[in-house]
Parts: sequence; structure tokens; C-alpha cells
Amino acid sequence: MSAVLPKKPAKNWPLILGAGGFLLLMTIWSGTGIGFSLSELVCNIASGSRLLQESWPPDFGFLPRLVGPFMETVNIAIIGTVVGGMLSIPIAVLAARNLTTGKIVWFADRNFMNILRTLPDLFWAMLFATAVGFGPVAGALALSVFTVAVISKLWSESLESIDMGLPEAVRAVGGSWLEMIRYGAIPQALQTYVSYALYAFELNVRASMVLGLVGAGGIGMILESQRANFEYERVTMIILFVLVAVLIIEQFSSYIRNKLA
Amino acid sequence: MSALKPQREIGWATWASVIIAALFVWSLMAIQFAPADMIQVPGQVARVLSFFYPADMAYGWDKVLPAIVESIQIAWVGTLVAAVLSLPLALFGASTLFPKLAHGVKFISATTRAFPEILLAIYFVPIVGLGPFAGALAIGISSVGMLTKLGAEVIESIDFGPIEAVEASGGSRIAALRYAVLPQVLPEIVAHWLFRFELNIRASAVLGVVGAGGVGGVLLNTLRYRHFDKAAAVLVLTIIVVLAIDMISGEIRRKIINS
Amino acid sequence: MNTAKGAIAFQQTNVVYPNGVVGMKDLNLNIEPGEFVVIVGSSGAGKSTLLRAINGLNRVTSGTVSVNGTPVPQKEGRELRELRKHVGMIFQDFRLVKRLSVMSNVLIGRLAHVAGWRTLLNLWPEHDRAIAMRALERVGITEKAWTKASQLSGGQQQRVGIARALAQEPAIILADEPVASLDPVTTHQIMRDLVTINQELGITTLVNLHFLDLAREYGKRIIGLKDGELVYDGSAKTVTESDFKDIYGREFTDDDLLNEDAKL
Repeated sequence: MSAVLPKKPAKNWPLILGAGGFLLLMTIWSGTGIGFSLSELVCNIASGSRLLQESWPPDFGFLPRLVGPFMETVNIAIIGTVVGGMLSIPIAVLAARNLTTGKIVWFADRNFMNILRTLPDLFWAMLFATAVGFGPVAGALALSVFTVAVISKLWSESLESIDMGLPEAVRAVGGSWLEMIRYGAIPQALQTYVSYALYAFELNVRASMVLGLVGAGGIGMILESQRANFEYERVTMIILFVLVAVLIIEQFSSYIRNKLA
Repeated sequence: MSALKPQREIGWATWASVIIAALFVWSLMAIQFAPADMIQVPGQVARVLSFFYPADMAYGWDKVLPAIVESIQIAWVGTLVAAVLSLPLALFGASTLFPKLAHGVKFISATTRAFPEILLAIYFVPIVGLGPFAGALAIGISSVGMLTKLGAEVIESIDFGPIEAVEASGGSRIAALRYAVLPQVLPEIVAHWLFRFELNIRASAVLGVVGAGGVGGVLLNTLRYRHFDKAAAVLVLTIIVVLAIDMISGEIRRKIINS
Repeated sequence: MNTAKGAIAFQQTNVVYPNGVVGMKDLNLNIEPGEFVVIVGSSGAGKSTLLRAINGLNRVTSGTVSVNGTPVPQKEGRELRELRKHVGMIFQDFRLVKRLSVMSNVLIGRLAHVAGWRTLLNLWPEHDRAIAMRALERVGITEKAWTKASQLSGGQQQRVGIARALAQEPAIILADEPVASLDPVTTHQIMRDLVTINQELGITTLVNLHFLDLAREYGKRIIGLKDGELVYDGSAKTVTESDFKDIYGREFTDDDLLNEDAKL
């Protein structure tokens, strides 16, 4: 037992206690703030089971009335993806450090992008529904903005990792900035762009299902009216339908994405 | 997409563009987007936006901030519930550790991921009543799927050497999980929890639309009654709070991963 | 330090892998407590199979392996864990938990000796911490006790691996190519450590080696394997060049020697 064990480095107790205390307080504060109670949950299982009984079986007779609104949902998602996808190209290019035209442009664009990302899809839907009136046009506009938020951030990161040899070569032979982007930069990141656009489309299909809750068109508008009337067997039908449709579209989209990868 | 076949690639890209353009035009026609709207819409948006200034910040501090706080609380509890539930599920979902169970666990997690949280909230509101508790449950359940999937992927990517080392020294399966698996995966998994918390702040912000608490209901009401100055306060405060939480959480995530 | 005796016996033991590869063929072998045995053979000759059969990491297809007269259990469970508790293992790739401290890695060797709830909560008894510290002291890296394993050099990591095995207070140490990932200088240090531990603690030690000159320098008894069969068993002092040729089934090359100038 002659070993001289170096002293165990003292733990950073202020940090550990501070972090632990913060987590605990945050949890207690949040839990009481939202009225989290297991007893309430257990007590309400009874009313919950009544609701579940009402919502099952789904009202299959309602199915034919869903096809039209569902197509509208898909249309909204397509328009949102195409418009947002195109708008996000310049926004992503200007936010890529290696391609942007100047420090101020880069800084402004980067912050613009980050602010777009802070607001959830339904906030945009509410804003556009107020501005242009209830209906699918508001939904398409909302998803366009949402798509820009999704694609531009991801794609600007891909653009930052491209090989700068080709763009510099375009510049060296006298190409303009636009030509450099068009022929030197974009071809290298085209594949990731397509992949992100498909990913955005998947998110848009999912988002477009609920846009109608705030009056922005699509199948969510029926969902909202049935929910408000407590027609839960119809709500279940809509949600099942949406679930299956989303899964199919996602499978299709991820199949294409995998083929591209 | 081979570089050796440029001819074929051009053909592929052209076809894709034509199909997308056709779908786009069809969609515009289907939602009855008239070319005249092209001119009108930007004007309408600009006109409404002009009503947003100046923001009614008195209303913001009074009514909006408490609602944002409630959204944060919903996201916190929801993420915590999901983290606790997903940790064991992620273990069982790792195909390298539990080849037989993993398939089922992954299937369940994929199904729950397909539900937007707001649809779950539609069911939880009548069960536990209007308010943030329903929102937290919806956020929690809908986050379990993604956290399970990401956690399982982290666990599948670990170095298996230490597990065998623990077993070779006579340690039990549980000891191997505690000493060989957990130290390898915990930082990444906690980083995923934080990232999910950031996403859940945004998700909880909209739950108010179906009466499940948070700031979404406030925005819906201010817009419905066309109190644009009050809506502006909602937007400004939401943006600031979400940006701040993103920055703090992102910084902590970087620290955890690099430690 | 330990009272357990580390006798090993193979009787007509065969290992056939699920893919049909024969890992061990009709092996009969007795190893006395306290022996230092070096196992040589080309890759795929069954060196690892032999070691891993002793602590049950590989199952035998027929015949028996026994440790101190008790057959090695052929299924996971309490009995196999009880056996492994007294058999330390050292790996070519160290197999440390890189994010944990050196001390925590060595304490892994005590897992089987300490109550489960204590290990789960990381509440190690003082007695076991002292054992882990002595193990670190023996391989001479006490000053690294609180360093993260990932920050150590290869040679230091292997020392932690040895300390982890020693912390088990084992009757037997199985070292599977312990120096294959190390540079020549570190290789000799690690081999000397293993020999010293064997001599001072009387732990039965089996070392798989690829390099012939190392085998001859450090081995007392050399076992040669070829295609899963025992083809040589004798003293390291009397082993000849032609014995090695028989074991390898070919002329050997510089790749088979650690020091290329060495003469066998």
C-alpha cells in the first residue's frame, strides 16, 4: 500500500449543484405551472375511455367526403414546396460564407433565416389567413415561408462544404458572380438540394394536414369543424386517413431520396 | 447520377422539372389561384403587416409573456416525459443489442412519429380537460418516437469491445449496460433531448389552437379580433424567446458532445 | 494475493463455428497453475479460439474445457460469470471505455465482486478501490488514475487493460495478442509486465503472440497451433527454427519477427 494515488480532481460542485438544481427547479416549476398531476390523469381515464369509445369505430361513411379536401392538402404542399424551394436558393447562397457577396449581406441573410425558423408553421398560417382570408392560398403561402426556413438553413451548410476549386476556376476565366454560383457551386450541391426539397415536402404534407385548424385550407378544416362538434368517430376517421396518406407519401419520398443518395 | 453519363442525367433532370412544373400548375388551378391574385396578394400582406406597427408591448408583458412561459413549461415537461420513456425503448430498439425486440420497437416509434402533436392534443384535451396538461402529454407522446429512433441509432453505433470486456470479467448484462454502453451513448442522447426541447418549444407554441395551452391560443385570438398590435407583441416576444433558448441550448449541446 | 489455483485442462475439445470453420480440433492440453504459456500460430490457426474457450466467450462443440477441474459452463448465466470472475482477459484493442477515467475502467474488473446495486450507483467499497489502486500501481500508471482513457497512448491504454484484469485478482490471465497494436519499445515493456506479474503473483498466464522472437524471448512453454490442432508443445529454450516452420507451414518472413535483425 505504498502507492501514491494522485488526489482525485475535485469535482466542480458549483456547476454540478447549479445544473442539478436548475433541472430540478425547472421541472417542479413547469410541472406545477401546467397542472401536471398523475391523479388527475388516472381519474380522467374514465372520461377518457368514454371518449375513446365514442371515437371508435371510425365513421367510414365519412370517407368519400375526405378525398377532395385531401387533394387540396396535397396541392398546398406542392405549391409550398415549389415556391419555397425556389426562394430558398438565393437565400441559402447568400447565407453561405464561401459564396456570399459581402459580410453585411451574409449577416443580414443569416439572421433573417434564423428568425424565419423561430416561428412554427401554424403561426405563418394564422398570419396569412388573416392577411389574404381563409382558404388554401393562405396555406400555400404559409408553407412557402416554412419551406424556406427548412431548406435554406440546411442547404447553406451543404454549400459551405463544397470544393471551392471549381467556383474559383469559373471566376478565374472571367465568369461573373452569378455564373460562378450557377456553374461552379450549385452543380456540386444539387443532389443535397433535391434531397432537402423532398424532406421539406414530407414535412409540408404533414403540416398541411393541420393548417385547416386555423382556417388555412386543406383537410384540417374538416378536422376542425368535426372536432368542434365533438364528432370523434369522424375525427378518428380523418386522422387515420391522414396517417395512412402521410406514411405512403413519406415512403415514396424517402424511396426517391435513397435512390438519389 | 454518375458523372460518366452526362446525357442520361440531363434527361432525368428535364423530366423531373417538367413533372414538377405540371404538378405545380395543376395545384395552382385546383386551389383557384387566379393570376390576378399574384398582384393582389403582396399588397394585402403588406397592408395587414403595416397594422402590426407599433406592437402593444404592455399587452405583451401582461398577457403574452405568461403564455410563452406556459409554452416553455409544456415543452419542458413533454420533453422530460419523452426522455424518460424513450431511454429504455432506445435500448430495446438497438438491433445490435436486442435483435429480436428491435424490429417491433422501431415500428412503434415510426408510427408515433407520423402523428403531428396537435392531432394527439385533439384527443388529450377532452380526456384531461382544456389546458397545458393536455399539451404536455401530446408533446411527450409524440416526442417518444423520434427520441427512441435517434437513441437507438446512437446505441447501434457504439464500440462493442468494452461490452465484451465487462462480460469477460464476469460482469452481468446490466453491469455492461451501465459501464460499457451508457458512458458511450449518454452525451449524444442528452444532446438529442436538448434538440428535441428546441423543437418542442415551437410545437407547444401552436397547441393553443386546439385549447391545449400556450401562446398559440393568444395569437389566434388577437388575429381573430384583428388586434394586430397585440399580435405583433406575440410575434416579437416569441421570436426573441425562441432565439434565446435555441442559442443557449445549442451552446450546451456543443459543450456536452465535445466533453 | 490470490489463493485460487489456475489449472486448465482441455480434453478432446472441438470448436466448429456456425459457418463451418474449424476453430479447434481434438485438443488435449493441460496447463498447471502458475505457468506462463505463449501460444503461436499463423492467423486463423485457432489461438483466439483457445483463449476464448477458457472463459466461455466461445462455446465448444464437443469435449470439455475445465478450469480447476470444473467444466466451463456452456451457457450465459451465474455459473459462467462466477468462472469469469477469476479469469482476467487482455485484448489486442484494449477495449476500454474511452469516456471513463482510468480508475473507472480498472473498477470494471471489480464488477463481479461487488453487489450489483452498489455498482449501478457507482458506490464502490473502499476495499475494492484499494484493489484497483494496487493494480494501477503494479503497471505503474497511478498518476493517470483520473485521466480519461481516451487521452492515453496505446501503451498506457494496454496497461490500464492489464490493471483491469489484475483488479479481478484472477487465477488466470488470458492475453489475446496484447502487443499487436503497439510499437516495439512498448511491446517489450508490456511483455515484461506480464512476465513479472506471472512470477510475483503466480497467476497462470496465457499469451497469444504472432511474433516468433517475442515468443522465444518471453515464453517458458510454447504451444504451436495450426488449423486448430496442437502441433507443438515444449519449452521455449529448446524450440528450433524448424519447429516454427512446422507450426506456420511455410518459410517465415520478416513480418513474423518483431525485430527484423533478430536471429532465431
